[in-house]
Amino acid sequence: MDPAEFVAVLGAENVLTDPTQLRTYECDGLTGYRVVPALVALPRTTDEVAATVRVCARRGIPFVARGAGTGLSGGALPVADGIVISLQRLRRIIEVDPVNRRAVVEPGVTNRDISRAAAPYGLYYAPDPSSQQVCTIGGNVAENSGGAHCLKYGFTVHHVLAAEVVLADGTVTTLGGDSPEHAGYDLLGAFIGSEGTLGVVTKVVVRLLPKPTTVSTMVADFGSVAAAGDTVTDIIGAGIVPAAIEMMDNLAIRAAEAAVHAGYTVDAAAALIVELDGPPDEVDSQFDQVLEICRRHGSTKLRIAADPAEREAIWRGRKAAFAAAGRISPNYFVQDGVVPRVRLAEVLGRIAELAAGAGIRVANVFHAGDGNLHPLVLYDEAKGEHDRAEKLSTAIAELCVELGGSLSGEHGIGADKACSMPVMFSEDDLATMKRLRAAFDPAGLCNPGKIFPTPRLCGERPGPFRPHPLEAAGLIERW
Amino acid sequence: MVTHLRPANLAELSEAVREGPQRLLIAGAGTATGWGGTPTEVDAVVDTTGLDGVIDYQPADMTVAVRAGMPMADLQKVLAEHGQRVAFDAARIPLGATVGGLVATADGGPARHAYGTLRDMVIGITVVLADGTVARSGGRVIKNVAGYDLAKLFHGSLGTLGVIAEVVLRVYPLPKATRTVAVERPPDEGFELAGQIVARSLEPAALEWYDGRLLARFEGTAEGVARRVAALQAAAGAGWSEVDDAVWDEVAGVALGAPGDTVFRCGTLPSRMPWLAGRIAELAGAAATVTSSVGVGVHTVRLRSGDPAVHAATLTTVRDEVAGTGGSTTAIRRAEDVPAWGPPPPAVALMRAVKQQLDPVGRLGPGRFAPWF
Ligand SMILES: Cc1cc2nc3c(=O)[nH]c(=O)nc-3n(C[C@H](O)[C@H](O)[C@H](O)COP(=O)(O)OP(=O)(O)OC[C@H]3O[C@@H](n4cnc5c(N)ncnc54)[C@H](O)[C@@H]3O)c2cc1C
Repeated sequence: MDPAEFVAVLGAENVLTDPTQLRTYECDGLTGYRVVPALVALPRTTDEVAATVRVCARRGIPFVARGAGTGLSGGALPVADGIVISLQRLRRIIEVDPVNRRAVVEPGVTNRDISRAAAPYGLYYAPDPSSQQVCTIGGNVAENSGGAHCLKYGFTVHHVLAAEVVLADGTVTTLGGDSPEHAGYDLLGAFIGSEGTLGVVTKVVVRLLPKPTTVSTMVADFGSVAAAGDTVTDIIGAGIVPAAIEMMDNLAIRAAEAAVHAGYTVDAAAALIVELDGPPDEVDSQFDQVLEICRRHGSTKLRIAADPAEREAIWRGRKAAFAAAGRISPNYFVQDGVVPRVRLAEVLGRIAELAAGAGIRVANVFHAGDGNLHPLVLYDEAKGEHDRAEKLSTAIAELCVELGGSLSGEHGIGADKACSMPVMFSEDDLATMKRLRAAFDPAGLCNPGKIFPTPRLCGERPGPFRPHPLEAAGLIERW
Repeated sequence: MVTHLRPANLAELSEAVREGPQRLLIAGAGTATGWGGTPTEVDAVVDTTGLDGVIDYQPADMTVAVRAGMPMADLQKVLAEHGQRVAFDAARIPLGATVGGLVATADGGPARHAYGTLRDMVIGITVVLADGTVARSGGRVIKNVAGYDLAKLFHGSLGTLGVIAEVVLRVYPLPKATRTVAVERPPDEGFELAGQIVARSLEPAALEWYDGRLLARFEGTAEGVARRVAALQAAAGAGWSEVDDAVWDEVAGVALGAPGDTVFRCGTLPSRMPWLAGRIAELAGAAATVTSSVGVGVHTVRLRSGDPAVHAATLTTVRDEVAGTGGSTTAIRRAEDVPAWGPPPPAVALMRAVKQQLDPVGRLGPGRFAPWF
C-alpha cells in the first residue's frame, strides 16, 4: 500500500509502516487471532480522522478503528491490505459540566479517567468494565461495554447522550443530542454496540451520576456452585436490584486470591459478591434480606465489608480474576454467554459436564445478576489442547443460546463468534442487520469481517466454528 | 378506498404487509395519530390491535415478551399480579396505547428521570419490514450485545420502518410505597433545587418542574420513602408539602392536550429549562403550560385552544431556537397548516439511508417525516 496519501493528510510522524511497529497492532485481547495491518494511522483530530477515512473511501481500503486494544472478541483485529486507525491520540477531556451532569470527551480517553475528572464534583461515569484503567470510551461505545455495576445502572448505551461519528465516506455527523429526547430513529442507540462496523467515534457525550451515599458490600461463600446460582435467582426474584452480584467458583477464587490476596476463602466452592447502593434505609433493609436469602441457601460464610478499604480489596480480587487465570493455566479463552437468570444453576452444571467431557478445566467468574457468564476455558497450548479448548468454548456459548440466552453479554461478537451467529439469529434477522450496515457503510469498508458470518470462514452451513489451519498459523487472515 | 387489515398473528401480519396494497399506515390504539407529520393518502391501514397478549412472562427473571398490539395498561395489570411493572408512565397508557405504539413514538413520562423510556427497557424486538421480512434482534436476557439492536432503530420510527410485532421488556418490582412532595418555585430556582436533590442521591423516581412547582416522587419501602421525604425537607429548604398522586394525572394532561390545542415535546440541555419556560410564557402567555423532566432536559408544552396564529408562532419559534442550540422538538398536536418538523437534525441523511434500506419504495407511513424524508 502506498502510504503517500495518508502521509499527506497526517504527516509522516503519524503514519506507521515499519513492520515491527505494525506488529504491535496485530491483535487485540483475543490474542489467538493475528493479522498485521498494512499501515497504522494516528490521527490527532476529528478532521484528521475524517481525512484518513476519505482516503480509504477513495481507494477502497478497509479500515479498523482501535482504542486500547483490550477487546476480547477480535473486534479490533486488523484486515490485511487494510489500515488501523488508532484513536489513542484523541484523548482530551473537552468538558465536564457538573450542572448538567455530563462530560464531553474524545474517544481515546480511558473509562477510568472520565470518573477521575468527574470526581471533584461528586460525580462519576457508571459503566465500569474490569479493564477500565486502560480501555477507551470509544471502545466502550463500540462494544456497548458493561461492568459489575451494570445490573442496577445499565450499560454504555444507557449512559451516552451523543456521539460525533466519522462515517465510512468520511463525512462527520452527530448521533443523539443534548437530552435523551431526539426526533426520529434512535441512530445513536443502534450505533452503540455496533463493534466499529458503522463508523469511527471521534467525540462522546456521557452522562455522569452522583456518587451513591450508602454502599454495602458482602462476600457470601457457598458449598456448591448450584447453591450460589440459586441464591442469585432468589435475590432477583425477591425484587431486589443490587448494584452488583458477581460470582466466582473455586478455581476463580483460588486464582484471584493468589494474585491479590483479597481475603477470599480458598476452599469455598463458590462465592458471591453482592453490593447494594442507594438511600440508606432501602440499602439497609435490602441488605438484611440478601443476608437472609444467602443463609437460607446454606451460605458457609458471610463477610461484610467493614469500610471502603475492605470493599476496595474485595473488588480488586474480582477485577483481577481474568488476569489471574494466567496463574493457574498457561492459556485460556474467556467466554461471554448470557442465560436467563432463572437458569444459572442449570447452565453451570451443564458447563461442568461439557468441561469434564472435554477433559478441560473451566473456571467461572461472572456478572451473575445479569446472567452474564465468563467461563474461563483453561488449556495448555504446549500440550496440544488448543483445538479442544476452542471447541469447548464455542459449545459453551452456543449452550447459552440453547437455554434462551445470548452468545455475548458485553465482549461482542467480533471475529471470534461471527460463525456462531446463525445459532442465535435467522438468515432474515442477519440480512436485516446487514441492511442497517449498508445504510451506514454501503461499500463495506468499515471493520469488515466482524459480527456477520462469512461463508469462506464458516462454511456454507452454520455450525461450530473452526479456524482454518493456515489462519491459526498466521499465514492467512480473516477479511 | 382504504382497506383495513387486522392480522391476528405474526404470520398473518407478514402476509398482510407483503401482499397488501402499496401504501400502508400502521395503527395501534390510535392514541398518537397526531404525532409528527400528517400521513399522505394510504391504501390500507395495518391495525396491530389483533396482535394482543403476553407471549411469555418469567416473573423470577423479571422479563416479559408480549405481542406489540397489547395495551400497556393491560400488561401492567398482568405484571402487578406478580408485584412487578414496566417502569414507564407515558400519558397515553390509560387511553389504551399499545406497547408497539409507545415504542414507535418514543413516548415517555416523568419516570424517565430514573428509568428512561422504553428504549432503555426493550431487550428484544420482532419486526415485519415493508417486504414482509420477519426480523428479530436482541433476545430474552437483559444483557446482550449480539448483533445490531434493531429495537433502537424502531424507537421513534413513527411507523415508517416496519411493523413492530413483538417486544420483550425488562420489568421492575412494584414499589411498596409511593409519595410525592411539591414546592412552589419559579423555573430558575426549580432547576437549581432539582440539581441539589439529584446531588444528594435521594434517588427520586420522578423529578418534574410542572407549571411553577417542583414535584418529587419517591418510591420504595414505606420507611425508606418517609425518611427520604424527611431528608429532602431538611436539606432542600422549606415549603415542601405532600401532594396527592393525582397531580401526575395533571402532568399527563399536558402531554395529552385536547382538540384545538398545540402540544410539543422538546429535548435540550437540562439547564435550558428556565430559558424554555420563560420563552413559552413570553410567546403564549397564560394559554401555555410547561412540564419538564428537569433532571434530563425533556420538556412537554401544551398551548390551550386560543389564537391559532399564536400557537403556530410559538411552536415554530421555539422549535427553531431549540434546534439552533442542538436540541430537538417533536410535535404531538398541531393545526394541519403548521409544519410538522423544524430544522432537520445533523443525522437526517443517515435516517434517509436507513429508510431507503428498510423500505425502499416508501410504503410505510408516507409523509410522517416530511419534509425531512
Ligand atoms: C482484563 C479485561 C477485562 C475486561 N472486562 C470487561 C468488562 O468487565 N466488561 C466489558 O464490557 N468488557 C470487558 N473487557 C473487554 C474490553 O475491555 C472492552 O470491550 C472495551 O470496551 C474495549 O475498549 P478498547 O478501547 O480496548 O477497544 P479496542 O479493543 O481497541 O476495540 C474494540 C472494538 O471497538 C472498536 N473501536 C474502538 N475504538 C473505536 C472508535 N473510536 N470508534 C469506533 N469503533 C471503535 C474496534 O474497532 C473494535 O471493534 C475486558 C477486557 C480485558 C482485557
